[in-house]
Amino acid sequence: MTKVSKNGLYVVIALAAFLATSGLIHSLVPPIIPKGVAAKLKFFAGHKDEFDTLLVGTSSIYYSVSPEIFDRITRENGLPTRTFNFGIDAMHPPENFYVLDQILKTQPRNLKWVFLETANIETKLHKVLGTERAVYWHDWPRTALTLRKALNPRGDANWVIQISRLWLARRDLATHLTLFAQRFCNVGRATEILFPQNREVDADLELGPRRDGYRLAGNAMTPEDAASFQKRLDEEIAHARPKPLDPAADGVYRSYATRLREIGAVPLFVVPPLIFQSPVSFGQSSPGPLFPFNDARTYPMLFDPKVRIDDAHLTREGAEEFTRLLAQEFVRRARQP
Amino acid sequence: MLFVEFRFFWFFLAVFAVYWSLRENRTRKIWLLACSYFFYACWNWKFLFLIVASSALDYFVGAMLARTDDPGKRRGWLILSLTANLGTIAFFKYYNFFVTSAAALLAWLGLHPSLHTLNIIIPVGVSFYTFHSMSYTIDVYRRKLEPVRSPIDLACFIGFFPQMVAGPIVRASQFLPQLRSVRRFADVDARGALVLFLTGFIKKACIADALAPFVDRYFDAPWNFTAGSAWVAVLFYAIQIYCDFSGYTDMAIATAALLGYQLPVNFRFPYFAANISDFWHRWHISLSTWLRDYLYIALGGNRGPAWFVYRNIMITMLLGGLWHGGAWTFVIWGGLHGLALVVHRAWSGKRKTLPEAREMEGRALSRPYDAGAVAPGSMRDATAGVPPVGPRTFAGWLAWLVTIYWVCFAWIFFRAIDLPHAVPALRSFVFLSSGGSEDLGVWMLWIVAALGFVHWLNSRATFSTWWRRPSAPVFAAGYGCAFAIVLLFIPPHYAPFIYFQF
Repeated sequence: MTKVSKNGLYVVIALAAFLATSGLIHSLVPPIIPKGVAAKLKFFAGHKDEFDTLLVGTSSIYYSVSPEIFDRITRENGLPTRTFNFGIDAMHPPENFYVLDQILKTQPRNLKWVFLETANIETKLHKVLGTERAVYWHDWPRTALTLRKALNPRGDANWVIQISRLWLARRDLATHLTLFAQRFCNVGRATEILFPQNREVDADLELGPRRDGYRLAGNAMTPEDAASFQKRLDEEIAHARPKPLDPAADGVYRSYATRLREIGAVPLFVVPPLIFQSPVSFGQSSPGPLFPFNDARTYPMLFDPKVRIDDAHLTREGAEEFTRLLAQEFVRRARQP
Repeated sequence: MLFVEFRFFWFFLAVFAVYWSLRENRTRKIWLLACSYFFYACWNWKFLFLIVASSALDYFVGAMLARTDDPGKRRGWLILSLTANLGTIAFFKYYNFFVTSAAALLAWLGLHPSLHTLNIIIPVGVSFYTFHSMSYTIDVYRRKLEPVRSPIDLACFIGFFPQMVAGPIVRASQFLPQLRSVRRFADVDARGALVLFLTGFIKKACIADALAPFVDRYFDAPWNFTAGSAWVAVLFYAIQIYCDFSGYTDMAIATAALLGYQLPVNFRFPYFAANISDFWHRWHISLSTWLRDYLYIALGGNRGPAWFVYRNIMITMLLGGLWHGGAWTFVIWGGLHGLALVVHRAWSGKRKTLPEAREMEGRALSRPYDAGAVAPGSMRDATAGVPPVGPRTFAGWLAWLVTIYWVCFAWIFFRAIDLPHAVPALRSFVFLSSGGSEDLGVWMLWIVAALGFVHWLNSRATFSTWWRRPSAPVFAAGYGCAFAIVLLFIPPHYAPFIYFQF
């Protein structure tokens, strides 16, 4: 054996030992779940059988759907529900699928309705959320999904185009692969266990005053912001075109719809009242009822600057109105054969 | 790109594999130079021109110095190089400092001129690579070094990525000869380098980064915290900055060693120093020796009456403090160390040096010593020739306590955001009095004790050789396992190296 091949063998041994040890630790040490997500997951795990309706999505759900009002309206309409708002700040796909997996792992017995905020796979990360928030959901299925989206955003690229996109998508690829590696290599897991004070969760704040996962975001926008909002909204309405979901997201929503039906729950897809006005649709038939509220012409009351904080969030009045509309639409659609 | 980031591992893997597969020394150097510039461009490619310009200018100055024996012309060329290099540092690091200080002084005198600060980004490592570059022209000027023929050699020396952004500050006379000879992988102490890299990684990623949040919390608003918290924060910072900087240096030395190059040792258990001059024999050795050789000696060194030597020490230390950044806190930090060195020198001159201290003491700033020399041969020699550290007698303990207290006291200025932030921390640290009620947790001092104990064991060479005993396959497997375990203990976020900002 030459010296070069001997050295190569030692490198292989070191790598194998590293991967084996990392894999072993990965299976033994629990992952680090960030504060906001951990608070809701922990609470839900402890009360999983109390709820039959779940709302999973971003802050546009978190601060905009009041389970109290939703349940009151459904009750008044003869379809009583017990709802938990699982909205998390900036929890875009595919992070929401990871969280949904964790929810389903708790095996909630009474789950009947699951609202999933419907959006495309997000390959860009929000740096302000920090590394911890980016790492925890980067298991292989979610990482592969983002890589697929980055290399083939419209789903129609052949392998030659995908290879050519390697350069264009290099930052996304490097970022997501690094996060996957960080998660697989258990970076910082022991630190989190040794210094648990870093992970103190303000559960009361995260869960909201009624501990149903909902809390208010803030006040209405200033007159200057309102004028700017109105201008952008008009532009959005003028340029609105039907936009089917990207194929990667479409496929995953379908697979989760199937999984939810298998446990006896009905998947419902909701698009909150975002400034983005293009109608969202699934590629072929919808895997479940779709509730698109990003339509200022149909729901002008949700786009009045007086009830808006910004492009994606509503004030208390706006949130209550949106919840009422969502609940009424839900009851109407649930009663349809 | 940081040494502790995943992407550095991929980067280094590519550098290493291609480098050793190349046969020609010149091709290897071109590859190293390209990789070094890429490494720097990962931070901000726009500032690459500064390094290229500095290298080009000093290559030209070196060539011109070799062409003439006229002392006036030679001095002129040297002044050109120094002006360009120091001008770069002065503009990027000190422009705003000088402007705001001048404005404050003029306001104090009752004048209110319109002086504007600039929104300047400080190029990473500017203080380090300009010092590398200046050492070349000064040594050529002093005829201690022949000017290089190949501009690649000089560019490689100034831009060599392991030491480019945070040192150690390598002398041209140490590094250029290495570039001239073909490196052989057979001469590389790979095992020593790998262990040193892992050690540096642990220091930086597991210790320094883990302590950083506590230190940051305290120094953001020291008036909110109890006096006990001040002690925790200051001691944590002492550990943080040591682990951060020496961890970086360890990784830099190890990375260079894996490519066949040797960088100088930069730290030798500084917190076990017997006195303040011993401390400077052990802390950031490459800077202290640089300042000694190119500033202190140029000022006249210790060839003169006592006040003359004291003046030189103070100037050297004040400028050494200012080297770290444009802020009065750094100047005060340098001044405090200068004052301590002066007092120590005066004390040593009047009284017989404590036997314990003398045994432990390295040679002082003003005396010649070889700490900055290239670590000979391999990693296994990194601690060779260093006397045992740690006090043994009561007097030795006392001297050590006074030294470590003074060093920590000075760190408060070094870390504080500004002088108003330093004052409450000083009050708490010195007088144990504070109006704040927030508590960092005095119980955490056990971490200081535990780390101190491990460090002491290390200073006794407890861990220095056992990892050489197993066979290569066992070592490889153990190294892989060890790295996987180490990753468990690092915080999930990376903090930049403290010395990158300098």
